[in-house]
Amino acid sequence: MTITMHVITGFLGSGKTTLLKRLLADPLMHDTAVLINEFGEVGIDHLLVQEVSSDTILLSSGCVCCAVRGELKEALINLLERRRKGEIPAFSRVILETTGLASPAPILATLTLDPQLRGRFKLGQVVTVVDALNALSQAEHYPEWLAQIAVADKLLLSKVDLVTDVQYKPLQTQLAAISHGIPLFISGQLDDPVNQLFNQGLESEDIASKVKEWQLYSPMPTAHSDKVNVCCLVMDNSLNWTGFGIWLSLLLKCHGAHILRVKGILNIGPKEQPLVIHGVQHHLHPPIHLTHWPDPQDQRSRIVFIVRDLDTKQLQRSFNAFSTLMKSNYSKI
Amino acid sequence: MCGLCGLLGEDIHWSDPINDEWPRRRERLLRIATINRILIPFHLKVSDFQGAAYLVQNATGRQELASGLEQLWQTVETLLGYPLDPFNEQLMKHLEQIQ
Repeated sequence: MTITMHVITGFLGSGKTTLLKRLLADPLMHDTAVLINEFGEVGIDHLLVQEVSSDTILLSSGCVCCAVRGELKEALINLLERRRKGEIPAFSRVILETTGLASPAPILATLTLDPQLRGRFKLGQVVTVVDALNALSQAEHYPEWLAQIAVADKLLLSKVDLVTDVQYKPLQTQLAAISHGIPLFISGQLDDPVNQLFNQGLESEDIASKVKEWQLYSPMPTAHSDKVNVCCLVMDNSLNWTGFGIWLSLLLKCHGAHILRVKGILNIGPKEQPLVIHGVQHHLHPPIHLTHWPDPQDQRSRIVFIVRDLDTKQLQRSFNAFSTLMKSNYSKI
Repeated sequence: MCGLCGLLGEDIHWSDPINDEWPRRRERLLRIATINRILIPFHLKVSDFQGAAYLVQNATGRQELASGLEQLWQTVETLLGYPLDPFNEQLMKHLEQIQ
């Protein structure tokens, strides 16, 4: 069985540990293994039932808690091995807390590209905790902050009670522009954090409505900072997957470091179901077929890029130039 | 391995064919034909190597094998001496002329 791994990320001091404390005490976490940076910070002594080893403990809810001391891959394989030996209870999902300064993209790549992990784990939801008080200054000074926001499937805003409306408005505008339709939760208003944050994203039955939330159909966004831009590419005719794959793989290889997020819905032929793509930096997740178009009136291919320090005019021009190779009848020549 | 084509297959990649409209070998040859159209301005040529790898050759006869699309771009970079950029002016002009 493939185990879903959810990721909690967020900048230093954003409130990841506070969220973890709340999650670990939740009875719904009984079938979960949590990989955290340090036990000490979370303060879970009162929940401890059994110490499995120096870096693994069992909590009263049945949740297994492990401290990651080296490579993520090693920690995940150890976890499976201990489960196989019966040292820890079976779990159906893993939640990983990243370090505050980490860009989540390499973690996602490890999970899907590593031959030992591929097939055993799959990526679930990426939850990014945003410190409402310091977010704008972090956005200004730390490129990791932006990468953490752009990769998110859910945003959780913390310390909202510490900011005034005047401070909150610009943050809200900036987050809306970067996250491009990602659900935003307020930390103090979460009733059921486990379900609200980790329910199935693109694996849910209604993928089409999830894709609709991406705002692929909103008007062309304008630039919202000197460095970060959103570029929306539209193709009227159905496109050839082989040609498109060649262009996108070349683009991600060459400019992946500047592509914070890519999302899209593709029309790959009149007889084919729409295809959803989404990726982070150099990495693209396996494409997903939709059963129907989110908007049946508009069946054009749409791809949205959130980029940093990348010329969107060049991106548009390159897409147009390569479109010759993406025409659906090209491959039949 | 595909029982009909005898292909051992490369690593799984997101750009792999998404349906089985055509046999894998045909899909592969179409992909190679498309890549070769991109490589014309750079005097490089890609051909299939036993259905399991790409053979990349330059005009001076230097050749390298690559497995999968990711490694192919890396090999092209090695033979060119610089990365193959989809924003490359020469490349975009070449593709715009085809249109």
